[in-house]
Amino acid sequence: METIKDALDFRDFSKAERIGLILFTIFLLAFPWIGTGSFVKAVMIQFLLFSLFGMGWNTIGGYGGQVELGKAQYVGIGAYTVSLMMVWWKIPFWVSMPIGVLIAIGYSFIIGYPLFRLKGHYFAIATICTSLVLQDIFINWKLVGAAKGIELPIHEHPDFLYMQFKSDTYYYYFIMVFFYVALFYMNRFRKSKLGYQLRMIKDDEEAAESLGIDARWCKIKAYTIASAFVAVGGGFMAVYNLYIDPYSVMDLDLSIKIALMAMLGGAASLWGPIIGAAFLVPLDRFLGSWLGGYKGLIGVDFMIYAMLIMAVSAYQPRGIWGIIEQFRRKGK
Amino acid sequence: MMILDALLQGILMGLLFALVALGLNVIFGVMDIVNFAHGEFLMIGMYTTYWTSVLLDIDPLFTLPVAALVGILLGLASYYGLIKYLLRGPAIAQLFGTFGLMLFLRYLAQFLFGIDYRIIQKGVLIGKSLSLGPFIFDWTKIAAAALSLLSFGFVYYFLHKTKLGKALRATSINKEAASYMGIQTDQMNAIAWAIGGGTVGIAGGLLANFYYVYPTVGLLFVMIAFACVAMGGFGSIKGVFFAGILIGIIEMLFPVFGQQIGWEFLGPHFKFTLVYLAYFIIVVVRPQGLFGWKQ
Repeated sequence: METIKDALDFRDFSKAERIGLILFTIFLLAFPWIGTGSFVKAVMIQFLLFSLFGMGWNTIGGYGGQVELGKAQYVGIGAYTVSLMMVWWKIPFWVSMPIGVLIAIGYSFIIGYPLFRLKGHYFAIATICTSLVLQDIFINWKLVGAAKGIELPIHEHPDFLYMQFKSDTYYYYFIMVFFYVALFYMNRFRKSKLGYQLRMIKDDEEAAESLGIDARWCKIKAYTIASAFVAVGGGFMAVYNLYIDPYSVMDLDLSIKIALMAMLGGAASLWGPIIGAAFLVPLDRFLGSWLGGYKGLIGVDFMIYAMLIMAVSAYQPRGIWGIIEQFRRKGK
Repeated sequence: MMILDALLQGILMGLLFALVALGLNVIFGVMDIVNFAHGEFLMIGMYTTYWTSVLLDIDPLFTLPVAALVGILLGLASYYGLIKYLLRGPAIAQLFGTFGLMLFLRYLAQFLFGIDYRIIQKGVLIGKSLSLGPFIFDWTKIAAAALSLLSFGFVYYFLHKTKLGKALRATSINKEAASYMGIQTDQMNAIAWAIGGGTVGIAGGLLANFYYVYPTVGLLFVMIAFACVAMGGFGSIKGVFFAGILIGIIEMLFPVFGQQIGWEFLGPHFKFTLVYLAYFIIVVVRPQGLFGWKQ
């Protein structure tokens, strides 16, 4: 009870933020009835999904300050668990998704333990390495479809257990539920003991250790939470797309995008990953669909992306949220 | 016999891996920055050689000075255009900044040249091989190995014997103390980026003689370079040299070894997985690397 109360406690928010949250919620609830096309709806689902990923990354990458660039492997674990269990044993989504999360948690403990002996660059490169190793294994593993990937069986009738619906609206509301669970969890997380410990570790690891904080254990816990979040999103991705392969769910580009969105919006803030996703997902999608039509312009969307990353890292490493806070402080 | 052959081929390839990693390590040693765009520098070196040799109809080996020059300019441009500004921010911003540079260069290449795989067809050495008893070596690989050895000698000489090189090493050991001695650290950083870009440009030029050129070629090689640097020790020139050779040997030997003992899963498609695993294990077990002094 206490935890739920904590999660729903937005008292430390400013008035503007509380109004923003309410308006945002109304907008999200009403969105499918505004009458936009299916493309815009798909973009919104992507936005909610990537916000979920970004919030997960934010625990370790934002509050913990560890540059984590291997989140795609957990997307892969979540997606593959759901797909394989559905194809092999016809296990419904609501059973296989939690199992996928448990596998992701177990796996993140196993590799998190050695990973968090490392710091800074070493850690960042090592996370890329572990992700690439897992992707290589899945590309060559015949049993799980190798490079060809897996197609999920399509049911004739809409089925809640297997998360198969005719209309995107249902998917939209389900991912919205996940999104709000994640948002409330993060609201609790930032005020929890672990949240404060992580911020202390980020500021000064030695000082934190001297106060009796087990830095490595804290980081492993945060990493595990992040992995669980991402695995939920991965499972959703599998039932939503009905097709997965190692390139679509385990690619390095995906890891980068996850970290980048959180970073661009503002790491270590509740709204950062959401702002980042709200900014980059539509940019990515609309640029992709505009420019993708012109054969000669392949890659221009990524170039714009890359320039944004460089500009943000060079001028405001705290992201868009950092800029907003700067203005707010000036206003006072 | 096959094992000995794989060993020798591995050494040839390893010398080139070492040259790719050299620039990365010099930059890391001096500035404590990991350049994620390093693989893309390599890719640009490869494209430079490809286009100069195809458009101007010169032998690819003679385009090396052009590749080196382009590499140096690229290194300097990245330093003055981006890295200088990143230095003010936290480490996380530096990582993302070079990451952005990597994406930018990769997709710029894709935009300009398309996603086709290209390979140089004409050249004095291309397609010719040297047979020594039972062993057959491609001349292009021998030339690449010899020239990377030469480049290594040159960089080693520069860093250890010249005044500028000594200043550079002093900066990498202790930046503050070096600046008290009147060494301009800003200049030293720029020189490190010039060396980094130049050596990797040469490596790209050499690689283009026998490897396909395509926009995402950098990722594979930058991961190998990270593994080399981690294995040899961050900041150590000697270390990166031996680590490169070792990784070349691992990469060539394991598939052959796997075939000999009948372990199919050690096949050639996993040879780079082993490199990534090697990186992971080395940094976890011995973070300073084999010859490293920087933690």
